[in-house]
Amino acid sequence: MNQLIFGRYFPGDSFIHHLDPRFKLIFALIYVGLLFFLESTFYYLLFFVLTLLLMEQTGVKLAIYVKGVKPLIWLILFAVTLRIMTTSGGDVYLRYGPFAISSFGLTLGLQTFLRFVMIIFISTVLTLTTKPVEITDALYFLLKPLKYIKVPIEDLSLMLSIALRFIPNLLDETDKVMNAQKARGMVFGQGSLINQMKALVPLVLPLFQNSLKRAEDMADVLEVKGYQSNQKRSHYRELKWKKQDVFGSLFLLMLMVVVFVFQQ
Amino acid sequence: MQSKRTLFLIEVAIFTAFALALDIIPFLSFKIWAQGGSISFAMIPIFIVAFRWGMKGGLLAGFLYGMLQIMIGVAWIIHPAQALLDYPIAFTALGLAGLFAPQAKRSLSFGKTQTFVTWVLAGVSVAIILRFISHYLAGVIFFSSTIDGLNIWMYSFVYNGSYLFPSLLINVLVVSFLFNKRPSLLKTAP
Repeated sequence: MNQLIFGRYFPGDSFIHHLDPRFKLIFALIYVGLLFFLESTFYYLLFFVLTLLLMEQTGVKLAIYVKGVKPLIWLILFAVTLRIMTTSGGDVYLRYGPFAISSFGLTLGLQTFLRFVMIIFISTVLTLTTKPVEITDALYFLLKPLKYIKVPIEDLSLMLSIALRFIPNLLDETDKVMNAQKARGMVFGQGSLINQMKALVPLVLPLFQNSLKRAEDMADVLEVKGYQSNQKRSHYRELKWKKQDVFGSLFLLMLMVVVFVFQQ
Repeated sequence: MQSKRTLFLIEVAIFTAFALALDIIPFLSFKIWAQGGSISFAMIPIFIVAFRWGMKGGLLAGFLYGMLQIMIGVAWIIHPAQALLDYPIAFTALGLAGLFAPQAKRSLSFGKTQTFVTWVLAGVSVAIILRFISHYLAGVIFFSSTIDGLNIWMYSFVYNGSYLFPSLLINVLVVSFLFNKRPSLLKTAP
């Protein structure tokens, strides 16, 4: 189970990989937001080409991105088809009861389709090029102002880091317990749903017990090292705003100008 | 001697990690829909935290679990409002299972198994129903963002119900069974 990779981070050396995670997070949020302000098909296609260029830049194969859309494709197509058939206006090509295929409908359908696909692609770009720990750091930084309304943001980011750190361990441990139970003659993943569920109880019970023990040990260690939940902390990984982030920000600014100034 | 707060933070963090681990181990979850609706054990760690530490712990664990799924990239995101409702909000709602934690704890310590199971049932049901509402609304928002005027609220209802209702039954069974077998899972350090 060591090989079981969790998450979708792809190590790489691209420009986007080296960008500051704070910038990437903000970029993805604003980019998705901008998609909702696009008005004509031209701008949709423009953004679609941009999105493809960004994906190309990451150096990750297109197939990986397409895989991310696949499970959702039916849902998207279903919604888009309904949208096409329920929108009327423009030239009507086909009519059947309340449904019609019109030029308006087709345009709106294409725009909706592109928007959904772009949202998936851009969030995939973020998670493929940014380690989950980096996203935690970025979130911590961006949510810092919440400290003033007494949201324990330090604690939250610590907890996210601990959770991320422990997922591989937990997967390993699950593997160990599973082998131990198999050695005792347990069969996993066979039989009726109820029987499969029953077989899992001897698996999760020791795991839960171990986790409680581990949490206790870890809390002791943190206490010994003087962790105080509401104190100012220094950080092992320091985020640095670099030249490429400035370029990135200018690019983002340009996109906003395009959408809010040129488009109007 | 550790402060209770540090232990609380770490336990919640580790059980959140647990939820994610249980969700990504292939045969531990039963995929019903390709789009991510599955019957899995993932909610159980959240419920354990909710009954151990009460509502606060549960809400926190649920929230972190929702965020974690987005950060790691296992979340399905096609709309900003849908992302919020399907992840942070839906999973935070699971923490409300802790609503009846004090009653559940009391009845277990008195050895009243039946009342205990009833409280667990109540907590888990409230939590999953709220999660259902959140996913349901996410589905409605997704569709109403594309289609105006057509009534397909039913689709979201059936889709989300199809995996959450069996999940509800299984979770009630497993959670009450686990606590009954290991009451120590319910006891936090004094």
